[in-house]
Amino acid sequence: MKKILLLVLALIPVISFAQGFQVNLEGEKQIGMGHTGTGLLQDGASVFFNPGAVVMLPDNYIQAGISPLMFRSVFNPMGTDVQDHVANKVATPFTFYAAVGPKNGWWKLGMAVYTPFGGLTDWGDTWAGKYTLESLDLKAIYFQPTLSIKLTDYLSIGGGFVYNHSSVDLTQAIPLTNSAGQDGQAELKGSGRGYGWNAGIFMKTESGITVGITHRSGVSTTISNGNAIFAVPPSLQSSFPQPNSFYSNIPLPSTTSVGLGFYPTDRWTIAFDANLVGWDVYKALAFDYKINTPQLQDSYSARNYQDAVSVRAGAQYKACDNFFIRFGGGFAGTAVQDGYVTAEAPDAPRQFVTCGLGYKLASKLDLDVSFEYEHVDARTQTNNQSQLAGTFETNVYIPGLSLAYHW
Amino acid sequence: MKNFKIYLSAGLLFLAACKPEIHNPAPTKGRADFTRYIAVGNSLTAGYSNGGLYLAGQLNSYPAIMAKQMQAVGGGTFNQPLFAAGQENGSGYLKLTGFDASGNPITALDTNHTAIRGILPVPGFGNVILYTKYTGDIENYGVPGIKLLNITYAPYGNLNGFFERMLPGNAPTNTTDYLDFVTAKSFTFFSDWLGNNDALAYATGGGVGDVLTDKNVFAQLYELSIEKLTASGQKGVVGTIPDVTSIPYFNTVTIGAILAGVQKANPSVQALYVNALVSGTTYAPRVATANDLVILTFPTSMIGTLVTTPYGPLPYGLTPYTPIDNQYVLDANEVALTRDYVQSYNATIKSIAAQKGLAVFDAYTYLNNIKANGLVVDGISLSSSYISGGLFSLDGVHLTPRGYSIIANEFIKAINSTYGSTIPLANVASYQGLTFP
Repeated sequence: MKKILLLVLALIPVISFAQGFQVNLEGEKQIGMGHTGTGLLQDGASVFFNPGAVVMLPDNYIQAGISPLMFRSVFNPMGTDVQDHVANKVATPFTFYAAVGPKNGWWKLGMAVYTPFGGLTDWGDTWAGKYTLESLDLKAIYFQPTLSIKLTDYLSIGGGFVYNHSSVDLTQAIPLTNSAGQDGQAELKGSGRGYGWNAGIFMKTESGITVGITHRSGVSTTISNGNAIFAVPPSLQSSFPQPNSFYSNIPLPSTTSVGLGFYPTDRWTIAFDANLVGWDVYKALAFDYKINTPQLQDSYSARNYQDAVSVRAGAQYKACDNFFIRFGGGFAGTAVQDGYVTAEAPDAPRQFVTCGLGYKLASKLDLDVSFEYEHVDARTQTNNQSQLAGTFETNVYIPGLSLAYHW
Repeated sequence: MKNFKIYLSAGLLFLAACKPEIHNPAPTKGRADFTRYIAVGNSLTAGYSNGGLYLAGQLNSYPAIMAKQMQAVGGGTFNQPLFAAGQENGSGYLKLTGFDASGNPITALDTNHTAIRGILPVPGFGNVILYTKYTGDIENYGVPGIKLLNITYAPYGNLNGFFERMLPGNAPTNTTDYLDFVTAKSFTFFSDWLGNNDALAYATGGGVGDVLTDKNVFAQLYELSIEKLTASGQKGVVGTIPDVTSIPYFNTVTIGAILAGVQKANPSVQALYVNALVSGTTYAPRVATANDLVILTFPTSMIGTLVTTPYGPLPYGLTPYTPIDNQYVLDANEVALTRDYVQSYNATIKSIAAQKGLAVFDAYTYLNNIKANGLVVDGISLSSSYISGGLFSLDGVHLTPRGYSIIANEFIKAINSTYGSTIPLANVASYQGLTFP
């Protein structure tokens, strides 16, 4: 009989990611005004902001924009003076819109491609939380064909179908050291899809105020056959069989918005937006591995997000016929309760200010630039699951540029 | 357009520089002075790991980790009696070479590049392994194997090779006792984690071959040593003695597991037998229970082998005439006895520390809590389990670098809360657990 030594390696990678940020970068004119636009008629970005407003646009639009996003986060482990920074990386949320229909007709068709959710964080392999996350690259791209119908000269509605293509690439260290003194590595990589819808109402009131109400549905996104790659010391590899795959479902939340537009003079446009994001759907993140072993069990980690509200305001000043100055800002609450903050999305209440310029390069061609600075408050937390304790703080810098052709 | 590009790149550079910083108050030493910190203790203090003392283990000793953190609050140089390159394996140590088909670990002793310089037979004591002398400054005085009982014994420098290598003289001519040696040079702060071996040596020997240090003797020596360590008003931190049953050495090879293994081959076997303490020094065979703790190094292959008895050949461990030898089992009564002594030692430690206003790391409570509940630190799930737990090294008694970093942080927390200092904590994630092939 052999020596009896029970070996139970209870080292289950509990890989977990929050949805990164809701990326509120869906049109440079709107970003310049604090990312308002639910109750305005600015340009083709209305396909996103309010499908109901699309038909009211005086012109047809084809436009594209990009908003390179620099996410600068720091973590200070509790009881230390260490500053762990994320690597300098630039995410590239983008937009493409088309809104086409007969001039002053009763309908317009729209198409939108945009990136409402995403995250790009690279904490590296030496920071205190490397066993919770090394890097995350998450992208959700929504494709949204849309129909907008004018009911009266003062009221229009619209709706669209959303197809979401998501990709995720997440790496995490595993606390199993090989003979060279290096950690094991887990990588979960895959793509998935989901479906949803988007609808809105747009009204021009007698007082001249414009009003928009929209709802973008939640999009339940399924990654059915992602790669689950585990590199561990050779003597333990059989506990982490390769190749392996995983299944996961990520419920991307709904957003309900109300927006108002005011026009005190013919040079000024003032806008207010309020959004309710239904993060409440995000109860847990679970990974179902195709091949399980006693060491590699399916993982389940509670998220228990709560619905979050943001309020935004912005203004546009028409300096001359072909030049516009914009500014705005807002506040957003956090969806993440105490004890659930993770490195993937070190969430906290945030404030942001924006500014922008618009220039008509030609009568049918708009060039818009925008800049947004966002500060995510410092938040000191001990995560319930990982016990990672410390303070996260984040600054986000987002320049943006778009070109819109309209006729 | 060219200018525009320059402005754009200048702007992007500016943004890249705008990293957030979290500003904490600068670390302070509080009411303590860490100019010369010395560490007093046994193998745990020396950085002993995987059944040996060797360079890599020394470099990750908890005092070395603490001293590194103390540098933020005025801590000075911290010298350890390191084994030199070429002899970096020190005493030799266990390595994990793989797992057999049943998933049991296979270990091998690495005996290359050791620092063994000779073997000294001491009449009436036994052989003492001698190591290459260390001649530099010392702040880490951890001596593997030392008991509190030994600290005032003048010839001890001839009986413990790890102590002998720190001393200028050669065994068997040493006459400096441990307490005098560590206090010879002035110091400002100390950590003292002595006393483990006063109970552990008895326990790891299955209750034979060694004796528990008398409770009163322990109290006298502890008071004496603390008086001496605080003679010039030095401040310090002390550690209590862990419950010996909180370590994997006693919790890995269990009666239940052995019996299950036997029954797999021979379902008719009902029980195992051990030679257990009745009272005083009286031992008698009886049926083994889950409360009898079998040591990690018990060769389970002995079970069932035929032993000659007056009643004919009988299988080892399976009859009252052939019980498992005493040396392999800390039986239930011995466990209770050891725990009683350890609790008495700890009452002494806490009481004397309280009188002197010293910081206390309650290792007894801390390690029992880990045994009961496990520990999660920075996303690492740790436990008191052998190999899989990540805290304990292959010998089942001493810790991994990660385990030592956690102990260092507990000592630091105790110091900070007692002296109002803010020594930064060590990053546990940057210290590794066991190494797997």
